[in-house]
Formats: sequence, C-alpha cells, structure tokens
Amino acid sequence: MKQFFLASILAGALALPAFAADYKIIAPANPGGGWDQTARTLQTVMQSEGISGNVQVVNVPGAGGTIGLAQFASQDKGNPNSLIVGGYVMVGAILTNKSPVTLKDVTPIARLTGEYEAIVVPASSPFQTFGDLVEALKKDPGAVSWAGGSAGGTDHIAVGLIAKEAGVDPKKINYIAYSGGGEALAAILGAQVSAGISGYGEFESQVKAGTLRLLAVSSDERIEGVDAPTIKESGLDVVVENWRMVAAAPGLTDEQKAAVSADIEKLVKSAAWQEQLKTKGWQDTYLAGAAFDEQLAKDVSATEGILKEIGLVE
Amino acid sequence: MTNGSKPVHVKRRPDGAALVIAAVLAVIAGVMFWDVSRLAGAAGYSQVGPTTVPYVIAICLLGLAVWTVFEAWRGDFPEREHQQLGPIFWIVAGLVAQMLLLKIAGFSIATGLLFAFTAAAFGQRKLWKTIPIGIVFAFVVWVIFSKLLQLSLPAGPLEHLFF
Amino acid sequence: MNTFEFLLQGLVIAAQPMNLLYALIGVTLGTAVGVLPGIGPALTVALLLPVTYQLDPAGSLIMFAGIYYGGMYGGSTTSILLNTPGESASIVTALEGNKMARAGRGGPALATAAIGSFVAGLIATLGLAFIAPFIVKVALVFGPREYFALMVLAFVTVSSAFGDSTLRGLTSLFVGLALAMVGIDQLSGQARLSFGIPDLLDGVEVTTLAVAMFAIGESLYIAAQGDRGPDRIEAVKGSVWMSAADWARSWKPWLRGTAIGFPIGAMPAGGAEIGTFLSYATEKRLTKHPEEFGNGAIEGVAGPEAANNASAAGTLVPLLTLGLPTTATAAIMLAGFQQYGLQPGPLLFATNPQLVWGLIASLLIANLMLLVLNLPLIGLWVKLLSIPKPWLYAGILLFATLGTIGANPSVFELGMLLAFGLLGYAMRVFGYPIAPVVVGLILGPLAEQQLRRALAISQGDLTTLVASPVAVVLLLIAAAALIVPLILRARGRGQVLSQLAASED
Repeated sequence: MKQFFLASILAGALALPAFAADYKIIAPANPGGGWDQTARTLQTVMQSEGISGNVQVVNVPGAGGTIGLAQFASQDKGNPNSLIVGGYVMVGAILTNKSPVTLKDVTPIARLTGEYEAIVVPASSPFQTFGDLVEALKKDPGAVSWAGGSAGGTDHIAVGLIAKEAGVDPKKINYIAYSGGGEALAAILGAQVSAGISGYGEFESQVKAGTLRLLAVSSDERIEGVDAPTIKESGLDVVVENWRMVAAAPGLTDEQKAAVSADIEKLVKSAAWQEQLKTKGWQDTYLAGAAFDEQLAKDVSATEGILKEIGLVE
Repeated sequence: MTNGSKPVHVKRRPDGAALVIAAVLAVIAGVMFWDVSRLAGAAGYSQVGPTTVPYVIAICLLGLAVWTVFEAWRGDFPEREHQQLGPIFWIVAGLVAQMLLLKIAGFSIATGLLFAFTAAAFGQRKLWKTIPIGIVFAFVVWVIFSKLLQLSLPAGPLEHLFF
Repeated sequence: MNTFEFLLQGLVIAAQPMNLLYALIGVTLGTAVGVLPGIGPALTVALLLPVTYQLDPAGSLIMFAGIYYGGMYGGSTTSILLNTPGESASIVTALEGNKMARAGRGGPALATAAIGSFVAGLIATLGLAFIAPFIVKVALVFGPREYFALMVLAFVTVSSAFGDSTLRGLTSLFVGLALAMVGIDQLSGQARLSFGIPDLLDGVEVTTLAVAMFAIGESLYIAAQGDRGPDRIEAVKGSVWMSAADWARSWKPWLRGTAIGFPIGAMPAGGAEIGTFLSYATEKRLTKHPEEFGNGAIEGVAGPEAANNASAAGTLVPLLTLGLPTTATAAIMLAGFQQYGLQPGPLLFATNPQLVWGLIASLLIANLMLLVLNLPLIGLWVKLLSIPKPWLYAGILLFATLGTIGANPSVFELGMLLAFGLLGYAMRVFGYPIAPVVVGLILGPLAEQQLRRALAISQGDLTTLVASPVAVVLLLIAAAALIVPLILRARGRGQVLSQLAASED
C-alpha cells in the first residue's frame, strides 16, 4: 500500500507533462499570502475536478498586486487560458500606487471568498466594548494606536472609515502598519498597541483561547458562530469586506468569457472546493456576472473617497 | 585569451578611480535628496517620518564621499590588479542575451546561450560546440525543475516541441 | 499521556521504515530545490507541498518536515562551495565557508555546517517541545523599541564583516542602506526612490541582490583575472573529513549559534539572518584564531550555520503556540498544517497533542535524515570544485539565474541581477567588502520601521526608546561592543589585529 503511494507520486509527477497547459493562474503576490493560497487552491481543485488537466501557478509579486496585474493585462491580452487572482487590497493599491493598469483593464469573472474585519484588544486592555474604544478615539485619536496590515490596505481603510463615522478626522488616526499578519498579531498580544484590526480568521484561535477580546466585526449582520456585535450596531455605518476574486485576461470574446465563467462556476459548486473552503476557514461569497461588476464599481469609488480623506491619495 | 597579461600596478597619486567612486557616492546622495524632497513628510505621530531616514543616509553618503576623496588624495586605496575586459563582455553579453531571449525563445535556448558565453569568458571559445551543450544542459534542467518540481520557468519553441 | 509519552509515540510512528523513506525523499527534494540560489525555503515548501498531499497524514507530515529542513540546509552548500548564498540566512556562511573551500577545506566546512545544523536542529526542536510556552512569553515582550535596540546591536556587530578598511566597510553598508530605501515605505504607503517604475515599488529583493553580488560579481571577477591563477581549484587538501582540531573548534560555536538563533527565530520580527550576523560577530570576538577570520575560520561556518537552523525551529515556536506565522515560510507551513486538520493556535497543544508531537517527532527524524543524506554527499559536492573553470562558472550562472527566474520570471529582475552583478564586480576590484551591502539592505528597513513604530505609539516621546529594561540592556551590550575594541586598540593589541586583517585578499 505504501509503495503504491510512493509510486503514485512519481507517476503523478511524470504524467503531468502528458496534459496540455490548460490554465495558468497568476498569483500577484509572494508564496504564502492569501492570493497565493487562493491560486494554489484553485489549482488543486481544478485538477481534481477535471476542469483542467494541468494548471500552473505563477507568482508575480509586488506592490499590492499591481505589478502582476499590469503584466497580466499586457502579456496575456486575449488569452482565454490565463487567470489572475486578486482582491479588495488591489483596489486600494491601484489608487495609492497610481497604477496605470486598473481592474477595468482585465475581465473580472467572480468574487470567490471574503472575510470580514475584526477589531480586537488584548485581554488586559481597559476597553471592554467597541463603544469604549470609540470614546477613547474621540477624546484623543493619537492615544489609540491600531496595529494592522500595510498602509492603505483593507485594515487601514476600515480604521479610516470608523474614525470618519465617529466624527474624527481620518488623518488623525494613529495607525501602525505591519507587513505580515503575524507581526501585527504579536504586537497586539504583547499589548504594544491599543487595538488591532485584521481579518477575523487571523484572530479566531486567540479569541477562542481568551488572549484577545473581540470587540466588533465589520459585517452587515452578525456572523454565525462569532460572539461579537457588528460595527453598525454601535451606530457607525461601516461595513468592510476583504474579498478575493478571479479575473480573466482583457480582450476576450463573449464566448471565451462565458467559457471561463462556466469553468469557475463549476469549480465553486464542486464538493472539493467547498471542502477546501471549510479547511481553510474561508467564507463562500461567490458573486458573478453583472452583480459582481456593480459591487466592484461601488467598492472602487468608496475606497477612493476614504483614501483621500486619510491622506494617502491626492 | 590574451597572453602575457602581467599585473599592472596602477597606483597613482591621487587615485583617479577613487575620485570617481567619491563622485558616484555624491551623486547617489544627490538623487536621494532630490527624490525625498518631493515626498509629503507625513510623519503622523512619530517625528521620524518617511523622509527622515533617507536624509540621514544621504548626508552620511556625502560624508563618505568626502572621506573617499581624502583617502584618494593620500593614495590610501589598495593596489588593483589589471583587469581583462574581454571576459567581462562575454559574461555580460550572455546575461543580456538570456534576459532578452527568455520570453521569446524560452528558458533552454536563452540560458544555453548564457552557458556558452560564460564558458567563452573562461577560455572555452568553441561556440559551435558549447552552445548546443548549453542548450541541452539547460533543457535537462528545465525538465527537472519545471516538470518534476513544478517551478514555473518560461517555455519556448524548444520546450513546446517536447511537451 | 504526558509530554514524553507523546513524543515517544510520535518517534515510534516516524521511525517506521516507510516513513523514514518519506523523510529521505522529502529531505532530498527540499535540498534539490533549496540548493538553487535565490530560492529560499518559503518557495521550496510552497512548490513541494502538493507532493505531500498524496500521502497518509503521518507520511505527509514527515515528508513535509523533511522538505522544510532540506530547503533550509540547501542554501549552505552553494554558499560554501560556490560563494553563492542560496538564501539570505546563509550569506554569512559564505564569508568563511568559501575561503575554506578555496583552501581545499571544503569538506570540513560542509561537514561542520551539516553537523552544526543537525546539533542545532536537535537542540532547538527539543527546545520547541519543552520550553516553547516560556520562549514565546519572552518573544512577546519584544515591541518596536526592543526590536530597534536589537537592530542597533546588529548594526554594531556588522562591523566585524568590514574587513581591513573602515571607510570601505561603511561605504558598503551605506550603499546597502540606500538600496533599502527603494520602494513603498511601509508605514506611510509612499513610494521612495522608485522613479515611477512599478517594478521598484516593492524594493530590492534581498535574494536578488545577494545572488547578483556574490555569484555574478564573483564570476565576473574571476573571469577578469584572465589566465592567472590555477585552472582548477584544488578541491581537497588534507582530509575531506573534519580533523580533531576541527571538532574541537566547532562544538562551542554550534552551541553558541543555537543559543543565539533559537530565541531570535522565535521572535515575531527576528528572522534567521539576524541570528547568523550575531553568531558570526560573537565567534569573531571569541576565537583563539583571529588571524584566520577572513581567510577561512571554521568557527565562522559552524556558528552561523547552527544559528540558521536553530532559528528555523525557533520560527515554529510562535507558529505552534500562538498560530503566528512570522515568516513567509511559516505562512506556507500554516497552509500545510491546515491540510492535516491542524489549526495552530494557543489551544493546539491541548486539543491536538498527537499531531503536534507527531510533527515534532517528524522534525527530529527529518533532521537526522538530513545528516544521513548530506554527510556521504560531501565528498561528491567537493568534487564539484574540480570541474574545469569554464564549465563550473557556466553552471554557476545557469543555476543562479534559474533561481531568480523561478522565483519571479521578470526581465526587470534579470536586469537588476546584471546591474548588481557589475556593482559586485566593481566593489571587488576596489577592495570593498560585499556582505555589508546585503546586511544594510536587510537591517535598514527593519531598524527604520521599528524606530518609527515605537515613536508613533509613544506619540513622539523619545524617552520611550530607553523605557524598557530589555531595550536598555541591548543598547548597553551594543555600546560595549563598540567601545571595548576601541580600548583594546588603544592598548596596542589592535595593531596586531588590523595587520592580520589586512592580509585578507
């Protein structure tokens, strides 16, 4: 039996060349990040479901995904077999980096997964509720330091929106940007900062262990199985979702676009994909077609507005 | 290979090349000043903003440039051995060829040329022999890393011929 | 069941012949990919992770551990033999290791690296098993100001890699610091020194710079010497194996390297490189053979290699106890664990003891396999050096560019490789040391960001930098490291030292 496993690896590795390269997925980030994992999960499921015989993942890291996006838009133009993974962070990065290539220059296919932001404080923090935190923010914005992801990213945008709704100048927030989720989490656990903000999954195990206190989540309604109010409930109208999507190359014919959309729909409906979502703790927020285009346009204009107010975009 | 190259001691006083290095350092500092001066110095709550550290580094580079001039003047720079430029050109040509051909001709051909040109830099000038060897070697490497280990290496006509 | 029983049970499972074979395959694959310059353990694990999915949980966990350790170790081989660091954590290894290889002592250098990695991996993995909760508490004490103090210490110790001229050492360091400024400033989101070129927004990749300056710069320099020097390097002088003196000089650096690397690896913003810098500086200060440093001192290989592997195990401390992925490699491992239903976090040791101890046992077995694989191979590796120069350097450049292309197939990246290669060549010609450039590129942004974070959190109060005992102690050590050599020099010993250092080529 064991020998069989070994043989199957070798056979699998050797058999790969027998298929034509059906899909190439650009992960516009370094290995390990959310987009890379999304791309590699797509790869696994596409191959196991027989949607594509051979899927290759190519990492084109850099500048919040805008480098990968620019390369994809120019080099893969009209190629129906190449895809790019992206997400909400890209929307902000396109604006802050003044990227010449935007999401208008590719063919967005569907939103795949999404995650809401969570606001946490260390267990030792004096802030018991989200209201306490907002009160402190109103009193002295500089005294409330927020640890989160990169400047201009989803976390930063969410804090800006909270400040704005609370009547505080978004330029005044004391936002401390960290590169990886891990480093920010360590700063929060070590009580180096007042509060932390990131995707809920990042904090989940700490919240369950009681080392972090979850004050609020950024969803529209309460999330099932998560014991925390929404930001909306505290009277601030802030809903932020960090979604991930898949897009196809520009310049496709309608038939080609429909074929890609059909493949993605088949993938999303598959049991293997649902299984992967469960093990990875990703929410299924599949949205395609005109509904997705509309959502995208709304997100882009809202993001542009808040980034201007934070002072990151002129 | 040009024979009879003896190490030529180029110790001069003052050392011209060292003065060039000082000038390069000063230019880097100047570019940093220019670039950073255009940034909004949004420091937020820290008095050390995005412009502070580049300024400090640029000032230090200027200081090092002055120090370099001083040492150049005194002839304190170490002696240099004579450098042959021919081999340098071969290697640079190989790297440029690989860079330009990678996307068009694929990994094996582009890298095969680099292989052959590098061998040429070290005295192996029979290109009619080294180029095929390089391409075959690069192709074997491509098969191992791209097909067996799933590393994404650009494929070109040669790779598509087989896979 | 208590800790020991879990560990024993894990070891029994991991020691089954089939699982040992998986460990060997994992280590071999990991080494094969990790040996490529420019491909670090993160990409190695990401590439090879799918291979492990096809096995049963125990087998795949073991193969995975093997890939991880193989990827970590792979970089040192090229560092020592070809002066081409495979990843940033083995840059320091090249300093002494390659000098040893040039002198026909590549065998002992590789052996001390392999055995040192094994010893460090063994101790650090046991440390992970038994004192992880304690270590992680210490690591969390480190906030921005403590990290800043650690960076100051690291900067001071860098001077030990300066060579014989302070001016040229400092110039190299500041060139590295200037390069470090390129790209988006993380804290304000503004682009610095990018001149509107999108490819520069993410800054200069450490591996690109290291591969270019070491591999390409070195090849250019050797080529430009023409037919001076021997056509082949004498691969083995004396024994290929470590002599009694080598052992005597290696074991302390192994232990010291482990003691430095493990806690720094466990720190969320530590990173393996910093441990190797500190270990190298420590060995240089403590050695009884200061004249050999710069000419191939075995301590300078043994210490940093142990530190490098110990920090790899250290990275697992916050990952397993807190669910904190502190490096790209750790982030990929997290993804790997999820495949096995392992959800790292504070409750992991309580909820999933079998898997955790299985993993730790796998790491121990993989570590052993690494030694089993690499010790017999040393003789073979060393023979690489007897390949005639044209083919050897053609091969080096092939693999150096392969790594860069595999990590990021971009023409711009290859252009940077060429430009920095020429810079590395020019610096060699004029006697500038190479390592400080890479060190500046790594430490510069860390120091700047931590300083700015500390000041932002304190709202601009400078006293915050010395308001914690840990920071004060680190700054005092840094001050001592700076001042003590000056005093020694003033007392006359320095002259001897600098004379000896000047004999470096």
